[in-house]
Amino acid sequence: MTQEHGTPSRRLKFEIFRYNPEDENSEPHSDVFEIDETPFMSLYIALNKIRELHDPGLQFDFACRSAICGSCGMVVNGRPALACRTLTSDLPEDIQLYPLPAFKLIGDLSVDTGTWFRGMGERTEAWIHERQAFDPEAEEERMSDDIAAAIYEGDRCIECGCCVASCGVANLDDEFLAGAGMNRVARFMMDPRDTRSEAEWFDVVAGDRGVFGCLGMMACADVCPKELPLLEVYAYLRRKTLGARFAARHEKKGSA
Amino acid sequence: MRNSQTSAMAAARRELAYEVISGGSGLLLALFMWGHVVLVGSILTGERGFDWMATMLEDYYIAQPTVFVIFTLFLVHAVFAARKIPSQLRERKQILQLAKGLSQSGREKVVTRTEYSPFRPHVESLLWIWQVRTGMIMLVLGSFHLVLLGIDIFTPLYGDIAGIEASTSTARVSAGLWLPYAVLLLCVEFHASVGLYRLAIKWGADLWLSRKTMHRLEQVIFWVVLVLGGVTLIVLAGWMDPPLAFLLDGTST
Repeated sequence: MTQEHGTPSRRLKFEIFRYNPEDENSEPHSDVFEIDETPFMSLYIALNKIRELHDPGLQFDFACRSAICGSCGMVVNGRPALACRTLTSDLPEDIQLYPLPAFKLIGDLSVDTGTWFRGMGERTEAWIHERQAFDPEAEEERMSDDIAAAIYEGDRCIECGCCVASCGVANLDDEFLAGAGMNRVARFMMDPRDTRSEAEWFDVVAGDRGVFGCLGMMACADVCPKELPLLEVYAYLRRKTLGARFAARHEKKGSA
Repeated sequence: MRNSQTSAMAAARRELAYEVISGGSGLLLALFMWGHVVLVGSILTGERGFDWMATMLEDYYIAQPTVFVIFTLFLVHAVFAARKIPSQLRERKQILQLAKGLSQSGREKVVTRTEYSPFRPHVESLLWIWQVRTGMIMLVLGSFHLVLLGIDIFTPLYGDIAGIEASTSTARVSAGLWLPYAVLLLCVEFHASVGLYRLAIKWGADLWLSRKTMHRLEQVIFWVVLVLGGVTLIVLAGWMDPPLAFLLDGTST
């Protein structure tokens, strides 16, 4: 059989991490499965085929198969990626699949990203903080196109956890905010409806679990399946923090 | 509650200060190293050029405070930049494994790979680990070099010897110091160029040049300075005649 673009089809060898933490007898190990490659095969298709043909007990997460639900993040040949967005034709014949590190393992390739993201959301209070009472009669406040577009850009995050799993700091510290967290913070800092001042943000953003915990390894931006501008977000937050610090000093001197 | 909030604020302020200190000291040291390579490069014009440069820097008391300031910056940078190195061997192994996986993935030769592959090249994590390694080597070899040259620079104040001299330096380097100096040169230039690239991305990824351009610039700077420093070292070791000796009427000795 040949693929549509003329190259002969390959026999793919998958080495997949297996472990069920719920089962006392389960030991972490890898299983090898072989399947034939088909045209435009994604890892999503491949894994379903393996489950169908070889092992119905293989655990992995999927929902949307179109890179929007963020549940199929896994380590593909050493790099966190979305299984549904990764085509086998971009990979060599030997493919190693591991669950995302930095998250709690549910079993095999399935991890719990929800607990991490909930914790991050709570620590950063990732919701609009409005101080004024809601007035149903008042006209809605206007927002410039630029700000709306910037906020929308940040909101494209699908919380797949690839940035967290690729981050050296987040792998060692559960509470480090990582790319997804800093992106979320920047999104609310930009939002004119959020009335939190820069000083109120300061300890969340500037702590060693925020922007200054970052080592600048840049992996988050390189693995992000949505190609979010995470490095730009970090640079923006670093400068904002420095600016806020100078402003606070200036104010202190002014009032003294 | 109030108390924990203010202490979190104070901790965050400290983190900001640490980051500015480690980044700022690194920037100053990297800039100094470029100047350093050019100054030592005066040996390329022959011993006369080198001695003239050294004497001038010592006679006008530029060299003495510089040694002091650079040694201080060197130690300050070591302390503040090292605050991020994981303390446990287990943690270091974890980061190393992660960085290796990231830098190797997407490099395999795959005929069918398209430009839409999500596997964008990534080396910066592994470069960070090499920055730590080169930093450790520099802490040892750099301290040695700074103390040695510090002695050279300060002893003339007591009237002992003549300060930095080409004859002393070439004798030392050709006697075997070329080896630690070659290692030091490689480490310094790697550490400095990668450090500047990282610093630029950290504070201004969205401001000036694209990341690709900055990475390319980093590589160009690394090679240019490394070659210049390498040639200087070869001349100091006596394996090559000063190539720019003609600038000083061809009298190189």
